[in-house]
Amino acid sequence: MPPFNPGLVHTPVTPFTRERAVDYDRYGKLIEFHIGNGADALALPMHAGESVSLPDGERRALLEFAIKCVNGRKPVIAHVSETGTGIAAALARHAEDAGATAVVATTPYYWTPPSAMVLEHFIQIGTAVTIPLFVYNAPEEMAGTKVTAELCRKLIERLPNFAGVVDLSLDWQFMIELMTDAPRLREGFQLLAGTELLVSPAAIGATGLFAPLAGIAPKLVRALYELCRDQKLFEARKVQEQLAALRQAVKPAGVASLKAALRAIGRDCGEPRPPLLPLDAVAYQKVVSELDAIEALRAEPRGW
Amino acid sequence: MPTKFRGVMQSPVTPLKDDFSLDLPTFERLLDFHVRTGATAISWPHHKGESLNLTIPERKRFAEAAVRVVNGRIPVTIHVSALAVEDTMELARHAQAIGADGILAITPYFWTPSLEAIHAYFVRLCRSIELPVLSYNSPSYLAGVEITGDLMSRLIEQLPNFVGVKEASFNSEKFLEISRAALAMRPDFAMLTGVEYLLPSVPLGGIGSYSAAGSICPNLCSQLFDACIGGDWPRARELQSKISWLWLLFRDQYPSSLKGGMVMMGRPVGPTRAPLPTATKERQAYVHGELARLGILDTEPHGW
Repeated sequence: MPPFNPGLVHTPVTPFTRERAVDYDRYGKLIEFHIGNGADALALPMHAGESVSLPDGERRALLEFAIKCVNGRKPVIAHVSETGTGIAAALARHAEDAGATAVVATTPYYWTPPSAMVLEHFIQIGTAVTIPLFVYNAPEEMAGTKVTAELCRKLIERLPNFAGVVDLSLDWQFMIELMTDAPRLREGFQLLAGTELLVSPAAIGATGLFAPLAGIAPKLVRALYELCRDQKLFEARKVQEQLAALRQAVKPAGVASLKAALRAIGRDCGEPRPPLLPLDAVAYQKVVSELDAIEALRAEPRGW
Repeated sequence: MPTKFRGVMQSPVTPLKDDFSLDLPTFERLLDFHVRTGATAISWPHHKGESLNLTIPERKRFAEAAVRVVNGRIPVTIHVSALAVEDTMELARHAQAIGADGILAITPYFWTPSLEAIHAYFVRLCRSIELPVLSYNSPSYLAGVEITGDLMSRLIEQLPNFVGVKEASFNSEKFLEISRAALAMRPDFAMLTGVEYLLPSVPLGGIGSYSAAGSICPNLCSQLFDACIGGDWPRARELQSKISWLWLLFRDQYPSSLKGGMVMMGRPVGPTRAPLPTATKERQAYVHGELARLGILDTEPHGW
């Protein structure tokens, strides 16, 4: 099987109705928006899509719905992170049956496991499927639990479908160590940036990114991706700085900010589910004015 | 005017005699070695130079030696960070008195100071001397204490001699937060990183780094900088991988293994002061094996 290079991966939010049900009408519209605005692939539901706030049945239904909407136009990567290894492996199997092109999984939630347990977790998820498995490294989100280069070496030995790392550690030491070894041990091994901070990973060898901000600034994200893909790294700096400013503006309140920003530009996807709180009026205004201050955003599409 | 603090700047280790006292003749030889082998500046005593295991009189004595031996061939900066801020002030005044070209200072140790306290510290330091001041950001060694983008902007605005930063988080987001703020206000601000992490930083506006392995592989340092500044990314990746592997080799109990490696390169500099251990014969042999495997023994100078 030739290596799957996801390229620019959009990670849509999950729209909710006022009653906190999944708003499938909006979700269909949102998926069309992403496909029409520069996505090479979709990954869902990521943390930006509030995966952890979706009960198992709902999560499966959502994935099936998305794959049906996309209808083969783009690859869909299913996010299957879970606390329990067996539950994650079952989600992965379901994703393959539903037609996902690949799966992506974090280290297990909550347990802060040592590396032997992390290894076993990923091996069980990986062996549950035949499609590629991407491992998501986000130590800040996972109370410090890391994916190390050593762990990846072992995963390459044990899992023929271990395809790469989506990195949200942003850690140069890790990324360089990983890319010194992994591509030699596995042909087509991919490093993907876990957010829109792509210039440094691209210098190190990243071939793509997961882009939670693509729903807000698809043009800017696409420009960054293409400059980095073409290794025009000095030229990419300006776009990178604008996206770093956008990330800084929405980061403090996470998904609530992301949804606030979407509402402000006419793509309302509702509020997040509890335990996340919606932004209050003051915080909402702050995000809106910070967005207004980023000049490059004025060229971005408004509405659907 | 472009900054004079650029390229791969060398921070010599501190040679010690077998009784752990300072070895001045070897220090002079080492300084000269760095100047002859392409260092773009000298900075002493970094943590790698065991700064915190030296007395203040010892630091002054070797600072004087550094300025005297380098003799204007390249800039010399003095690292003035000390546990007691009053010592830092004293070392800064001393650096100016002996004719150094600048100083380098980390955020204060131990106290996890607030942003306001860090601000007050740099204001006091910069106003106490006329020399250029380089700041040093190292959150992972200082319990998360760091210079934010906003603080950087305030300091640049208020202090004409606040000219650069050694940004040693090795993290895309932290580097960008500071570089965006600093370079927008002062395009010649020296964005530097630690440990030769040039590949991920130069495309973001980085202009140089300090060096971990320069006493082992000065040629590799210069080649990496040239490849990055010239935008030769495939070559830069190869060189960065190699030099980063050396960092992984030396990072543990730094600079003990580095001093051990210098023995293998024919440039012995004696033991390391406690609490750091001195590299054993076995450790030296292991380092020798790695240097051979990486081709360092064939491509880098042996002896003084």
